[in-house]
Amino acid sequence: MIRRFAAVVIACVAVGCSQPTPPPRVTAPSAAAGTPKVAVVISTLNNPWFVVLGETAKARAEELGYEATIFDSQNDTAKEASHFENVLAGGYKAILFNATDSDGSIANVRKAKAAGVPVFCIDREINATDAATSQILSDNHGGCVALGQHFVEALDGKGAYVEILGYLGDNNAHNRSKGFHEVVDNYPGLTMVAQQAADFDRAKALEVMETLLQKHGEGLAAVFCGNDAMAMGAYQALAAAGRTDVKVFGFDGADEAVKLIAEKKIAATGMQFPKTMARQAAEYADAWIKGKRDFPQKVPVAVEVVTPENVGEYGDYGAKEDARPATN
Amino acid sequence: MPPPTADTTPLRTATAGLVPLLVRFRSVLALAVLVLLLSLTTDSFWSEKNLQNVLRQISVNLCLSVGMTLVVLTGGIDLSVGSTLALAGAVTAGLAKSGLRLERINTLIEFTPAGAMLAGVATGLVVGLVNGAAVTAFRLPPFVATLGMLSIARGLTMLWTGGNPIHDLGPAFSFLGNGRLDAVPLLGWVPMLIVVAGTLAAIVAVVAGHTRFGRGLYAVGGNERAANASGLPVAGIKRGAYLWCGALAGVAGVLLTSRLNAATPDAGMGYELDAIAAVVIGGASLGGGRGSIAGTVLGCLLIGVLNIGLVLLDVSPYWQQVIKGLVILAAVAIDRATAGRE
Repeated sequence: MIRRFAAVVIACVAVGCSQPTPPPRVTAPSAAAGTPKVAVVISTLNNPWFVVLGETAKARAEELGYEATIFDSQNDTAKEASHFENVLAGGYKAILFNATDSDGSIANVRKAKAAGVPVFCIDREINATDAATSQILSDNHGGCVALGQHFVEALDGKGAYVEILGYLGDNNAHNRSKGFHEVVDNYPGLTMVAQQAADFDRAKALEVMETLLQKHGEGLAAVFCGNDAMAMGAYQALAAAGRTDVKVFGFDGADEAVKLIAEKKIAATGMQFPKTMARQAAEYADAWIKGKRDFPQKVPVAVEVVTPENVGEYGDYGAKEDARPATN
Repeated sequence: MPPPTADTTPLRTATAGLVPLLVRFRSVLALAVLVLLLSLTTDSFWSEKNLQNVLRQISVNLCLSVGMTLVVLTGGIDLSVGSTLALAGAVTAGLAKSGLRLERINTLIEFTPAGAMLAGVATGLVVGLVNGAAVTAFRLPPFVATLGMLSIARGLTMLWTGGNPIHDLGPAFSFLGNGRLDAVPLLGWVPMLIVVAGTLAAIVAVVAGHTRFGRGLYAVGGNERAANASGLPVAGIKRGAYLWCGALAGVAGVLLTSRLNAATPDAGMGYELDAIAAVVIGGASLGGGRGSIAGTVLGCLLIGVLNIGLVLLDVSPYWQQVIKGLVILAAVAIDRATAGRE
């Protein structure tokens, strides 16, 4: 409690330094009303990965002495636009932002910029380099290139596989598939016998996998899924059919997938670092509020391939020794 | 089509009698054509495994669409079934996994898998109760009342799960979702999912076709004023329809959770549309008063076979959405064109 109050005081002083008028208010606990606010606008809270992203950003901002509020855009750019309007009207000092759409969200970020509120993009890139103050991005494409390389090794460069895509039209779904194929398509021994979509959804992936097994089950060596939820669904279909010989590859680094990799039920996943990215964004926002202005436009956060061999190093949405910096 | 015997009946009347028959059984016909097509073009359709897949994959939608039919018969609609499914599934999984902790009196109530599943169905029942009250006591249009509930139930699911899936529910829990009728001779291959969903559909078919409540559904949907004037308990009938629909969505949630051995907070998104599609393809009128459970079951089968068939035929996922939309439009267009001929 005392520590928290102290942090509030420090933050207030800091704000006072960078913005000379009005004078710092360090008088009473009622200063809580004057605690600078930071908004955390998240694309969706329907997926544990984004919940971790949002809550870590909020927690880090609070540690740094801010009052932080999470806004859920429910994967809807229009809802996101209203959140931005409310945030700008509500006197927030900075926005920690996970975009719903790489193009559609640009206008929202520009609106904030015009109002003098800095936006720090987390995980999802927006296709403009002059709008956000900084973008801390998960390298979906690069991660899937690395995962593709591991895929080739694990299959020894030959065999039939199926791909289960995420939402058609989603940027991340596209980048993941693209990175994967940039590597895997160079190996003529690897043939994709089917490509279907399951909307990043576990139940849909289970059903698609069940059906695909009917047609392509014989000789099937592997399945590549655009996220871990679908990998879990696909694994379930394979396990129910007694086809534990088919190697399952996912992406995200969800806890459940990491656990299944340790049990050698899933072959590999790409670990993204939502906590690292979210903390970094909160720290950047803090630095901006304290007066720093020069930020790199893009900070790529590498994605690491988790396999049964190195799974011990991972868990809880990141690397075990969480202090390990993935960026700097 | 020549007349079968040396009958004196003119050809004209024979074909005239055929058209209404074709119209009447168009769902069966469409299904037959689809099945024939798949049998000819793929070698994997008529396998035991694939039939199991079809039955398993339609089970959840069967529960939802059968419940939806009752509501649609009254001239209403229930948009909340997908969210209700998610809420019921989450409640079931949460209770099965960690029980119910009552902080105030410092006690932990533990649940057996069956107990947790009953609680899930009860959750759906409560949602249906509220929907029914909103439509009757508060006189909200069903579209609006259940649209509100769609959001409320989804929000409650998020609150209950904290946005995280609840998984690892244990092998006993997944029996309904992944087990088969192993104990029964000859029927050992039948998935438990369809046993549950099919039994419920049969019960609802009897309720809709052979009870006073069932006849009431048609009367209310056909002409609410006339039903009211003739002394039918209109509000009670409507409440009953939403209650059934909610409870069946609860069952669907339990089935899906058991099948995945996990409850995900985003489960069931958009399922209300699949349910409505099955009802409409099955020949029900969204205006109320017309439709049948048998039709809905066929509609459900048609969607299920189409879903599987499109994957078996390696149709691009982009085209799949277009084709499914076209099938729904065609079904309704035929329905409109032939309305009143039956």
